[in-house]
Amino acid sequence: MTRRILARYGTALAGVGLFAIFAVTSPVFLTPDNIALILKETAFLGILAIGFTLALVTAEIDLSVAEVASLAAVVTGALVHGGTDPWIAIAAGLAVGTLCGAANGVAVTVLNVPSLIATLGVAAIAKGLSFMLTQGVAFVGRWPASFTGLARGTLLGVPNLIWWLAGIGFAAWLLVKWTRLGAHLVATGEADEAARLAGIRTRSMKRLALTLAGACAGLTAVLLASSLSSAAPAMANDHFLYAIAAVLLGMSMFEPGRPNIPGTLFAAFTLKVLGNGLVLLGAEYYWQDIILGTIILLSVALSATGTGKAPFVKKLNVRR
Amino acid sequence: MTPLVEMSDIHLAFGGIKAVDGASLDLHEGEVVGLLGHNGAGKSTLIKVLSGAYRADSGDIRVRGEPAHIHSPRDARRYGIETIYQTLALADNLDAAANIFLGRELLTAWGTLDDAAMEAATRQVMGRLNPHFRRFKEPVRALSGGQRQSVAIARAIHFDARILIMDEPTAALGPAETRQVGELVKQLKAQGIGIFLISHDIHDVFDLADRISVMKNGRLVGTARVADITKDEALGMIILGKCPPGAIPGPGAMN
Ligand SMILES: Nc1ncnc2c1ncn2[C@@H]1O[C@H](COP(=O)(O)OP(=O)(O)OP(=O)(O)O)[C@@H](O)[C@H]1O
Ligand SMILES: [Mg+2]
Repeated sequence: MTRRILARYGTALAGVGLFAIFAVTSPVFLTPDNIALILKETAFLGILAIGFTLALVTAEIDLSVAEVASLAAVVTGALVHGGTDPWIAIAAGLAVGTLCGAANGVAVTVLNVPSLIATLGVAAIAKGLSFMLTQGVAFVGRWPASFTGLARGTLLGVPNLIWWLAGIGFAAWLLVKWTRLGAHLVATGEADEAARLAGIRTRSMKRLALTLAGACAGLTAVLLASSLSSAAPAMANDHFLYAIAAVLLGMSMFEPGRPNIPGTLFAAFTLKVLGNGLVLLGAEYYWQDIILGTIILLSVALSATGTGKAPFVKKLNVRR
Repeated sequence: MTPLVEMSDIHLAFGGIKAVDGASLDLHEGEVVGLLGHNGAGKSTLIKVLSGAYRADSGDIRVRGEPAHIHSPRDARRYGIETIYQTLALADNLDAAANIFLGRELLTAWGTLDDAAMEAATRQVMGRLNPHFRRFKEPVRALSGGQRQSVAIARAIHFDARILIMDEPTAALGPAETRQVGELVKQLKAQGIGIFLISHDIHDVFDLADRISVMKNGRLVGTARVADITKDEALGMIILGKCPPGAIPGPGAMN
């Protein structure tokens, strides 16, 4: 019984412990401003990671989310900067993300390129395109409030970013946990062949999941550009390792061995707490990468050996 | 009377291997047809063409006399064809209910998954097959071979199948459960369901089947009513490809 609780909530409890430690050791950590800052940072990371989670639910890995987000941000930024109606710019950013996701989906399910390679290819193309569009310089400016308000505004006293995260998180959770489509996504990831024999369109499921991952990257991009009033190539790259770490760490909670939305969200928050706390305690920036890398390794080790044997680990041909 | 299923001159090769080489089968309502043959004879491959898992290179399938277009497991289900695969084809990390309703989940009035209804139905259908089964909440990976087999059978019979394919359904079962599956086959047959039964146990097949078809090297040796041949003659068909007088020879019969 205790073992079971520990398996399900162990890493989540560790996250709570971390929070408590920073709360005690840093005088600034628990101030409302700092908590709001952490939550806003969690929003970018969380939405990006939710996309990654959806792809991973179907046992596909999307390494392109950050580059795709950067490209979508650049496209949105270029349009807003050029004076286009913000709504058109927003739609364009979302469309770019979604199209890149669909391209991943087609590469994986039609051209039969393994997602690890296909998404790396799309990432490189997205990176190239974003440098082509900007010629290496950033779009910065005083952008209309109708655009910047998207991320910077508040609703009922709560920052919009947090609403976005909550909304997308809830929608994704509903999709995966409570709809037939979600059940088919999960079955596709858990047992591709069994799902196919049960009449599930597994290829469409994978295509859909990768497309949604792209759409989430697009939304992250729009929110980033709106929040920063700028857009530059590679601007979402800092979130890349964080997103992967959040999803993999999230797999160690709530539903061990399975990518799950609550796990991803809680892990994203925990990682941002960690990053924030480390900065407050004066740790050098490079410690973040070292710690993220360690978390990624340990989380996958846990998924590969622990209670649940994650299908994507099997798929990557890890021998056990 | 028009047969429930007619498969004619089915060919399917994997690379150079002719797994099924011009085989034909038929099945009537309320009939059990046993499909026999050595390992690698092509039995599973042939029935997978009917269940939509594989697409034949050539050949022709009719259901109730009408040409049937079966290009995927989904299509097969639409014709009322249910399959218990030899490999069971379960999603290991999901529980019994999720496996039974895989691809056909029950929904509430809100359009959300109805876990309660699916679990209740699972208890009911599993109660019929394996009354001692209690591990409803666990992933099927944790179940015994026999329990997994019950789940696979439950999945096939829960949805009013008209045509049931059972590929070695008792391979992992003990004597008691095997008898239960035998009873089940008789029950389903009495309801007018047509059943293809693949088994290596010739005694079981003679007990349950009305007719047998024997395959060898992807070809049909022959088809016979069990009343018209002896078990020894059936073994002769399987081992030597020799077709006895009581059987209708196929293209794979030794002359
Ligand atoms: N997916 C596949 N790819 C390549 N060859 C295959 C595949 N499936 C079956 N075969 C080959 O086709 C032939 C027929 O196999 P099949 O599984 O239909 O035999 P079977 O009669 O069901 O045997 P068993 O009694 O062992 O289940 C064999 O030679 C087998 O190696
Ligand atoms: Mg077989």
